[in-house]
Amino acid sequence: MDEGKHIAALKEAVLNMDYELMDKAAKEAMAAKVDPLKAIMEGMSPAMAFIGEKFQTGEYFLPELIVAGDVMKEGLKIIRPYLKEKGSQGEKKFLIATVQGDNHDIGKNIVGMLLSLHGFEVIDLGFDIPASKIVEAVQKHEPGIVGLSALLTVTMPRMGEVVKALKTAGLRDKVKVIVGGTSVTPQFARGIGADHASTNAAEGVEKCLEWARS
Amino acid sequence: MTEMTRRERILAASRKQMTDRLPFLHWWRHMQIGWAERECRNRGMGLAWTRPSYGVKMNQVVVTEEKDPSREGGVIRITYHTPKGSVYMDEKREPGTFQWHADRSWKDVTPWALKRLIREPQDYEVMKFIVENTEYVPDYFPIEQVNDWLGEEGVSYATLPKTPMARIMIEWIGSEEGRFYIHHRKYRDKVDELYEAFCQSITPLYEIVAKSPADIIFCGENIEGLLISPPLFEKYFLPEYERMAKIFHAHGKLMAVHMDGRLNVLKELIARTPIDIIEAFHPPPMGDLPLGEALKVWKDKVIWMGFPGAIYELGPEEVKKYTFDLLKEIGTGERLVVAMSTENIVSNENMLALTSIFEKADLPLTPEKISRIEKSIA
Repeated sequence: MDEGKHIAALKEAVLNMDYELMDKAAKEAMAAKVDPLKAIMEGMSPAMAFIGEKFQTGEYFLPELIVAGDVMKEGLKIIRPYLKEKGSQGEKKFLIATVQGDNHDIGKNIVGMLLSLHGFEVIDLGFDIPASKIVEAVQKHEPGIVGLSALLTVTMPRMGEVVKALKTAGLRDKVKVIVGGTSVTPQFARGIGADHASTNAAEGVEKCLEWARS
Repeated sequence: MTEMTRRERILAASRKQMTDRLPFLHWWRHMQIGWAERECRNRGMGLAWTRPSYGVKMNQVVVTEEKDPSREGGVIRITYHTPKGSVYMDEKREPGTFQWHADRSWKDVTPWALKRLIREPQDYEVMKFIVENTEYVPDYFPIEQVNDWLGEEGVSYATLPKTPMARIMIEWIGSEEGRFYIHHRKYRDKVDELYEAFCQSITPLYEIVAKSPADIIFCGENIEGLLISPPLFEKYFLPEYERMAKIFHAHGKLMAVHMDGRLNVLKELIARTPIDIIEAFHPPPMGDLPLGEALKVWKDKVIWMGFPGAIYELGPEEVKKYTFDLLKEIGTGERLVVAMSTENIVSNENMLALTSIFEKADLPLTPEKISRIEKSIA
């Protein structure tokens, strides 16, 4: 078995955003009994991290980030059944949602994707999520950080409602809350009792990494 | 300079001419009609009104709408039945939709699509049939009527749908979960074929709109640099703007494009377009390109700025502070028109705060003039 060749093919599939190659490379790697964890950690993940870095430095744009992520997802579908059951990735859990009344999810998805590249376990609740569901999910998953997203100025106040609901449920002190969206400002974040406001994904990710390190 | 009417002021600025004062206006569709609005208009606030100049006929396409009472929250399924098959979308309509003005809710929000028309590869053929069988018919009455109503109070805009790729990307496939990019990668031929067919079928509409009695032609794109990357803009948007502008300019019309997102990454490409008016420009914190820099980089364009909703959230005092900072970066104030908002309803307090500044903003602006206004309203 030429493990290196299979790992390189998986890497290439992500870097070239090639669905067909990913399908072939992932199936061949598993047939050749390549360690599935190695296939992910040494093949797909570094390639995805490379794309993520290029996105953060402005050399790649959203289409590249999204498509490479989707190609990797296709590969994971094939490889995951070969993985032995593993527990949670640890303390770095990040829960994210676009608040109720808002269906804009691009910013949320980018932040989720970049944080997962940095080793976070990302729990993505989706969009149009009511405060009660976010509170339930925080109780269930116990993340260290909660990310709330809203694009519209009319839905921004919903982020305040989530912070309030977390407080009522006695969870506010157990999580950091970061709010994001083009309309949020530091003043707004302070006003609703959030810990940080971010208007771009890269800066928001940096803040989460800083919190995770502290 | 002799005092201009609101209409003269807005149009002169839009044609890159000097005006007596900085033009400021409110979009009809976002406006709270009442005492504060009357007061602001008496103090110089103009009006801008968008209306269509055409009707649409879809041949061999039957459109049905159904509301399923078992589904929560006013979800409507709109189905387009064609000889090639059918496509549908699910739309959520907030309270107020179609009750006060068209598809806006009481909070001024348009309906949002829960499911979009193009989801599967086979949907492209149906959509291609629809665009190829869509006809546009001139109907200038809505604009003639609004021109008559407005008089010297403001200007009319003839609306266009989004350009073909913006419509395919934002409205038909959607960006949720990155769907458009994935389709664009997996089904590139189908996306491009639909785009080409759409560009061809929409061309007669450009002629119809160019001949309308509106002052300006408005293309409601929602350009956002994160969503529309520079390569996408260059391939699908720039050529279409060139094609459109050629037709509009031949009829003496100004072309405005709604660019309300982050534009820094697209600024050089936007500079290359023949667009006359960058409409709904949002400076930071909502946009990522300062107004002063935008005026410098787009030397042959006029900016119609949309006042950022995020600042309104902070109240009238912050609104004033922000506005003075803005005035200090725009030089003489030429090539700029300020809209109270392009997205949301503005509170009376915020609208009055802005009016108290702009009514005194005689052009050309100078640091001394700005300082005098600051003192006068302190």
